[in-house]
Amino acid sequence: MMIPLRYNLRSLWVRKATTLATALGIALVVFVLASALMLSQGVKETLGAAGREDVAIVLRKGSDAEMGSIVDNPQIGLIKSMPGVKREGNEPVGAGESVVVIALEKIGAIGVTNVQVRGVAQGSAPLRPNVKMLEGRMPAPGTDEVAVGRAIRGRIKGVDLNQSFDLKKNRPVKVVGVFEDGGSAHESEVWLDVDNLSSAFGREGAVSSVRVVLESPSAFDAFRASVESDKRLGLQAILETKYYEKQSEGTSIFISALGTMIAVFFSIGAMIGATITMYASIANRRREIGTLRALGFSRLSILFCFLFEAVLLALGGGLLGAALATLMGTVELSMINFASWSELVFRFRATPQILATSVVSAVAMGIMGGFLPAVRAARTSPLAAMRG
Amino acid sequence: MTVTDDSIIRLRGVTKEFVRGGERLRVLQSLDLDVKRATFQALMGPSGSGKSTLLNLMAGLDRPTSGSIEIDGKRIDQMSEGQLAAWRANSVGFVFQSYNLLPVLTAVENVELPLLLTPVAANERRRRAQTALRVVGLDDRMDHYPRQLSGGQEQRVSIARAIVTDPLLIVADEPTGDLDRTSADEILTLLETLNENMGKTIIMVTHDPAAAERAGVTLHLDKGRLKE
Repeated sequence: MMIPLRYNLRSLWVRKATTLATALGIALVVFVLASALMLSQGVKETLGAAGREDVAIVLRKGSDAEMGSIVDNPQIGLIKSMPGVKREGNEPVGAGESVVVIALEKIGAIGVTNVQVRGVAQGSAPLRPNVKMLEGRMPAPGTDEVAVGRAIRGRIKGVDLNQSFDLKKNRPVKVVGVFEDGGSAHESEVWLDVDNLSSAFGREGAVSSVRVVLESPSAFDAFRASVESDKRLGLQAILETKYYEKQSEGTSIFISALGTMIAVFFSIGAMIGATITMYASIANRRREIGTLRALGFSRLSILFCFLFEAVLLALGGGLLGAALATLMGTVELSMINFASWSELVFRFRATPQILATSVVSAVAMGIMGGFLPAVRAARTSPLAAMRG
Repeated sequence: MTVTDDSIIRLRGVTKEFVRGGERLRVLQSLDLDVKRATFQALMGPSGSGKSTLLNLMAGLDRPTSGSIEIDGKRIDQMSEGQLAAWRANSVGFVFQSYNLLPVLTAVENVELPLLLTPVAANERRRRAQTALRVVGLDDRMDHYPRQLSGGQEQRVSIARAIVTDPLLIVADEPTGDLDRTSADEILTLLETLNENMGKTIIMVTHDPAAAERAGVTLHLDKGRLKE
C-alpha cells in the first residue's frame, strides 16, 4: 500500500514558498517550450490555410517558391488547357500571378520590413473563395490601386485604407480595400493588378506562377503528368497545400528548434531547482521518513512517495506554464518567413498535442529532478525515527 | 535471567557492535533475555548503556552483530529487510519520545497510517482509527492536526497509532521524556491500562525512576550487560 496522496499534497502546501518558487521555475520552462511550439504551429497553420487541396501551382522547374519562378505569358493558356483543370462554362479556372517583395517602413519600429506583393488577375478570385473584403473593394485593373491583407494593415507605413505607399521609387499606389482570408498567409500580402505589377517591375511578358483549380484533388496526378511531360515547357506542378507546407518548413523548424533548445537549457535550471527543493524537504523530514519506515513502509513505497511529490510539484508548474502559454493565443506577431523573405503575421496556436507535450515535459522534469532525492529518502534508516 | 515457555521475546547471545571513526564499539555484549507475554517492562540504565540499541533490536529496527532474536516464535534476526518491514507493520506498535506524528496529517489520519499496510478496507480503517482514539480519550480531537494538540495529547495519538493494528508488542522510547509530570502520569496510566486490560506486552525505555516504577518489571542495563 502506498503512502496517501494527501500526505504529499499537504507537505507541498506547508512549504508554500519553496513549492511556489520551484513550480514557477518549471512553469517558466513549460511556458517557453509551449510558446515556441505554438509559434511554430502558428506559422504552419497560417501558411497551411493559404493552400487548397484542389489547387495546383505551376512553377519554373527547379524553383522552390513563386519568388524565384518565371512562367512566360503564352504558357498560361497552355497550362490552363491541360487535363484535370476545372471548367466553368467553357472557361478553365485559373490565373497567372506575379509575386515580388518590396521594403516598406514599419510603424512603431526602426527600419524597414519586406512585404510580399501579389499581382492578381481576373481569374484569381475563384482560386481563393474565402477572401472577403472587410472594407473598400478590390483594385480595378489597369490602375495604381491596391488591396491589403488584414494582418498587415496599420503595421506598415501607408498600408491602410485610403493611404498610399511607394510600390517602388516614384510609383505610389493607393490602398482601396482591406481583405481577410481566414487567417492565412495571404492576409500578410498586398494585392494589385498583375499587369500593373509586371510593368512596374519590368517583368512584362511573364508571371511568377500559374494556379489552376482542379476538377478534384485526384485529378492532380494527370495534370502534373501533362505539365511535366512536355520538356519544352520546363515547368513543374505542385499541389498548393504541399507548396505551403514546404514554405512553412524552414521557419517552423527553426522556431521549434530554437524554442526547444532554450527550453532544454532552462529545464536544466528548473530540474536543479526541483532537486534542491526536494533534497531540502527530505532533509527536514528525516524523522518523518524514519517513522514511516519504522511503521513498516518499504523503501519502494518511500521512493514512489517522494518521486510522486516531485511529479506533483512539476505538474503544478507545468499546468501553470501551459495555461500562461495558452493566453499567448491572443497575441498576433510578425516575423520574416524564411521561404519568401517577407513579413508574415501570425498567431500563437495552441493544440491539445502541444499542451500535452509541454505538461508531459514538466512531469519528466519532476521525475528527473526528484529521482535522486527520492532515492535518498528511500535509503533513510528506520532508526532515524528514534534519533530525532 | 528468567527463561520461561510463555516468553514472547527471546534473545540469545545478542551482541551489537558499531564502528565509529574506525574504532569498533561493542554496545551490547552477549546478552540473553526473555520477556514474558503481557508484561509491562521498563528498561533503565545510564546514557550509553545500550538500552535504546536493545529496544531497536527487539523492535526490528536494527540487526544484531551476532546472536538470535526470537519474537513470538519468529527469528527476526534472519529476516530480509522487506520481511522485517512487513513484520514491524503487523507486530510492533511504536511510541516515540517526540511522538513522531506526521504534521500534515490529522490525528485520525496519523492513527490510520499503519493500517494502510494491512488489507483492511478504507471504511474499516477509519472506524478502527476512531476506536483507537476513543481508547486514548481523544474522540473530540480526531480532526485536529498535531500542532493543534498539547504534548500529552500528541503522545496519546501516538499511542493510538501504536495499538491500532493490535500488535504483539508495543515499544516505547522515553514516552514521557518530553512531558510535564501530569501528562506523563496520564500516559503511564494509559500504558498500564493497555497492559492490564488489553494484555499488551510493553517494553519502555526510560530515564525516569518514577516512570519505571509503574512498569511491572524493571531491567537495568550497564555497559551493554543486563544487571540483576
